[in-house]
Amino acid sequence: MIANEGEAKIGGAWAPYTPSPETPWDRRRVVHLHRRAGLAATWGEIERDLADGPEASITRLLDGKSRTYAVPSDFEATADLLADAAVASNDPARLKAWWFYRMMFGPDPLGERLTLMWHDHFATSNLKVDNLAAMKRQNDHFRTHARARFGSLLEAVVHDPALLIWLDATANRKGHPNENLARELMELFTLGIGHYTESDIKESARALTGWTVNDGDFRSVPSRHDTSDKSILGRTGPWSGDDLLRLLLEQPVAANHLARRLCRTFLGEKIVDEPAIEALATGLREHQLDIGWGIATLLRSRLFFADPNIQSRVIGPVEYVLGPIRALELLDPPASTLVLADWAARLGQDLFYPPNVGGWPGGRGWLATRAVIGRTNYAAALVDGRGIGRPVPFDPLGLAERHHQGQDRDALITFCGELFVGKAPNQGWHDRIVAALGPESSWGPDLARRAVALIIASPEAQLQ
Amino acid sequence: MLSRRNFLNATLRSSSLIALAPTVPGFLAQAARAAAPEQDSRVLVVIQLDGGNDGINTVVPFGDEAYAKHRKVLRLPTDQLIKINDHVGLNPAMREAAPLLESGRLAIVPGVGYPNPNRSHFESMAIWQSARLDPEEHNGAGWLGRGLDEIPRPVEGQPASLYLGTGAPPLALRGRLAIASAIERIDDIVLDAPITSAGTSTDDNDLAAFVRRSTLDAYTTAERMAELARGRDSSARYPSTGLAERLRLAARLLKGGYAARVLYTSQSGYDTHSGQLPTHGALLSELAGALRAFLDDLAASGLAERVLVLCFSEFGRRVTENGSSGTDHGTAGPLILAGPRVKPGLAGPMPSLLDLEDDDLKMTVDFRRVYATILESWLGIPSRSALNGTFDPLSILRS
Repeated sequence: MIANEGEAKIGGAWAPYTPSPETPWDRRRVVHLHRRAGLAATWGEIERDLADGPEASITRLLDGKSRTYAVPSDFEATADLLADAAVASNDPARLKAWWFYRMMFGPDPLGERLTLMWHDHFATSNLKVDNLAAMKRQNDHFRTHARARFGSLLEAVVHDPALLIWLDATANRKGHPNENLARELMELFTLGIGHYTESDIKESARALTGWTVNDGDFRSVPSRHDTSDKSILGRTGPWSGDDLLRLLLEQPVAANHLARRLCRTFLGEKIVDEPAIEALATGLREHQLDIGWGIATLLRSRLFFADPNIQSRVIGPVEYVLGPIRALELLDPPASTLVLADWAARLGQDLFYPPNVGGWPGGRGWLATRAVIGRTNYAAALVDGRGIGRPVPFDPLGLAERHHQGQDRDALITFCGELFVGKAPNQGWHDRIVAALGPESSWGPDLARRAVALIIASPEAQLQ
Repeated sequence: MLSRRNFLNATLRSSSLIALAPTVPGFLAQAARAAAPEQDSRVLVVIQLDGGNDGINTVVPFGDEAYAKHRKVLRLPTDQLIKINDHVGLNPAMREAAPLLESGRLAIVPGVGYPNPNRSHFESMAIWQSARLDPEEHNGAGWLGRGLDEIPRPVEGQPASLYLGTGAPPLALRGRLAIASAIERIDDIVLDAPITSAGTSTDDNDLAAFVRRSTLDAYTTAERMAELARGRDSSARYPSTGLAERLRLAARLLKGGYAARVLYTSQSGYDTHSGQLPTHGALLSELAGALRAFLDDLAASGLAERVLVLCFSEFGRRVTENGSSGTDHGTAGPLILAGPRVKPGLAGPMPSLLDLEDDDLKMTVDFRRVYATILESWLGIPSRSALNGTFDPLSILRS
């Protein structure tokens, strides 16, 4: 609950984190920040953030400036080329690879995580849209407005071909209403179940009549629009589709819905209660549903850095695939983005192909049998190289040496634990790894690779 | 590349789950010891015939004098047909299915369709998969997905349906909550990597314990799959066709205790606009051979009573052959059901080849009646919301 209403700074549940003896700014918290809100950090980036403290480190991440390692100077130009080629080729795999390129090499991992969140929120599948240019355009909106006011994002996405095709908006005409867009707009995108009635949906569908796609662009066709009065959420008037968006954004619960989405993406299981969500929602209402304000408040908070929130959710496939690539500095030579995108799909997260409009259920559902096995197989493929389209195997001892770490077995296990989860594996975990490695006398590059694969695939490393 | 054999030897064997038994919680140890599936829920296996199967040349109404009239080049000689009764017989290419017919494991529902038939592949298939006639309701959920939404998952974290094939699971399996898994090959669930034991920890919180359990479950399944892959699957002999391979995988999974309620696969190529005879024959031969091998395999493993196979297509084909020794898109067609629990034989009258509508077969059974029967009587799932209506059941299953 906010301590003093009217105060500019938020307090209570979302009071800012400051280091203390009980909650020090240590390696564990630095790794937690990057693992949860980014796409993992290199040893050097972790050391830098340890030295610079939370304020600077979080700000860097929020501002899209947290990566020092391997961001090409011509990143945006290369990304654009890849996107154009993907669209021209009409090969969805290449569009997925483009996004993986952005996530792997780009300077703004939080921005990409937010883009991924919006892709899940406004889940649109190319299976029906069947148009890579439209899917790419939608993805650009997610990225451009990732931290904007939610209203800007909503407006952009709902006036955009991909979503309109996906939710049959084009079939929605005066006298012939199709409720699909209206329903998902209220249920999934803005308000959530329980905050509108079936009548609101019907009336909203009428407000949305006339919206269509022509020549790959949004069009509003007056002759198809129902101009009569509609009663939506207690307000009556000759509402248009744009009026409807305004009405939805004005609902107080829109802020709660947005707060819930942010918490679901960036906080662990059972970390926030209803009062905390309401407090965040109140702040969002006061800040015109500014997503950037919301994410900054969340990431700077005591709650985010509290012990219960660390390693408190299952890591999703995209983060599981890309995290070790970044952390182990496997970018030169790089892995194949086509292959990595395929791995993520095998682990259950096929970009541009969410299972349905509800997005990816995520959470514990990421750990179905096939996915657990896939994750274990991925870890082995990663260190070997060939399975991720990399011509050389990973050299763990070389990496350890570059960062002045010991070369023996126990030192490497400790190093990997600190790199991936922010602390050395506890005795039980360490013993299990050792048991799976065989005799210490055989220690060398091959066993070192095996150790890394075992650590990445361990149950402990499935959490973020 | 580190080989799976090495890992299994070095890790799972030496720290075997059974050896961990004193420290592994009781129910986990039981799960590891269990060789047979724990649940006796029934399974539906759907084989989707893509393209519009020519029902008239599959379940041939040789007793109908109009057959010879409408089918000249495509007429199948009566003496070659596999007789079901005095006026109906199966295409000879289905000879592998004759034992199924003889042992009462094959049923046919003739004349299945829906009002105002749609002859577009995409639209008609969407109708069949969503069980909705209005194209504007083909918006993302299917009859099985909706049905599975109504019941709890057989296993936490595991989808209740599985698609065997390339690409994404079909609309039929999609629900608001229900998600289908997809496997192309058994490699998908074969471990090819080093593993540690999942470990145990008394100070695990609920999430950590769940992750360990999931890991343990997965490695156990992988070990079982590895055993199956090592050829303990002795007597099962399958033809070397694509469909047979997928059904072999389905049988393997069922034998391994995979807890899906629905397994779904497809067979493409039925859109026989020209040169129909050899193509159609090859497809039906593949279908019959795969079906027989699958059901015999399940029977040998004591699982056949739990399985019902449904074969359907998005429409039948025109009664009169076209000028290219083929047929064009038609309307109603036969559904095939297979398994020891079917009520064998023809489930209704064959549509007449004389009493046509716009030169096409009149449907006699709405496909949603078949769906309703399967959902309610086979899978034990209420069908009203999945099908958006109530449909009279058919007598296609043994009681």
